[in-house]
Amino acid sequence: MNNRLRVLRAERRWSQAELAARLGVSRQTVNAIETGRYDPSLPLAFTIAREFGLKIEEIFQPE
Amino acid sequence: MSEPPLRPGCEDVASPADARNRRRANVWLFATMALYLGASATVRWRAGLPAFVPWAAITVLLGMAVATVRAYRRFLRGADELVRRIQTDALAVGFSVGAVVGLAYPLLETLGAPRLGAAAGFVAMMLAWGLASWLGARRYDGGS
Repeated sequence: MNNRLRVLRAERRWSQAELAARLGVSRQTVNAIETGRYDPSLPLAFTIAREFGLKIEEIFQPE
Repeated sequence: MSEPPLRPGCEDVASPADARNRRRANVWLFATMALYLGASATVRWRAGLPAFVPWAAITVLLGMAVATVRAYRRFLRGADELVRRIQTDALAVGFSVGAVVGLAYPLLETLGAPRLGAAAGFVAMMLAWGLASWLGARRYDGGS
């Protein structure tokens, strides 16, 4: 799955650690999602979308 | 925005609570392993000891083992979904390797392999679990 997490995070000038704290996950998880190594669960995808004020499909796209 | 590299197990990667729970579980695990060695020696060379000493050593060992399991479960329950996934994979690998070695090695012993006793499966399980945890953490790191 592709995602725009890194771009969205950079637009808001958040560090990985900041975003991780907002999402309640580890920085390792944020890093793994950004680099495409890990696809988040549906609840976490919803949390990410809510944090950015977007819909899930505006952040995550199937390859 | 460039990010500092990930350093697995450190507090800038995991949340402080995760890092604390992981550290606690590791401390319990190593303490239990050390006590296991002590209890094994106590049981093996019990001839010159009061009768209650080996029993006491085994009782304390069992108590510490239960505490270790509780600490590990607390770590898993508090960990985020990626860490749980890595640990679930590692537990599956550890269990599988332990089961296979535990079943097969006694047969190999009868064919002349070095005698390791009943602990062979357990040792293989722990080593495979540790290695799989380490490899799993690295699989999702890097490229930050």
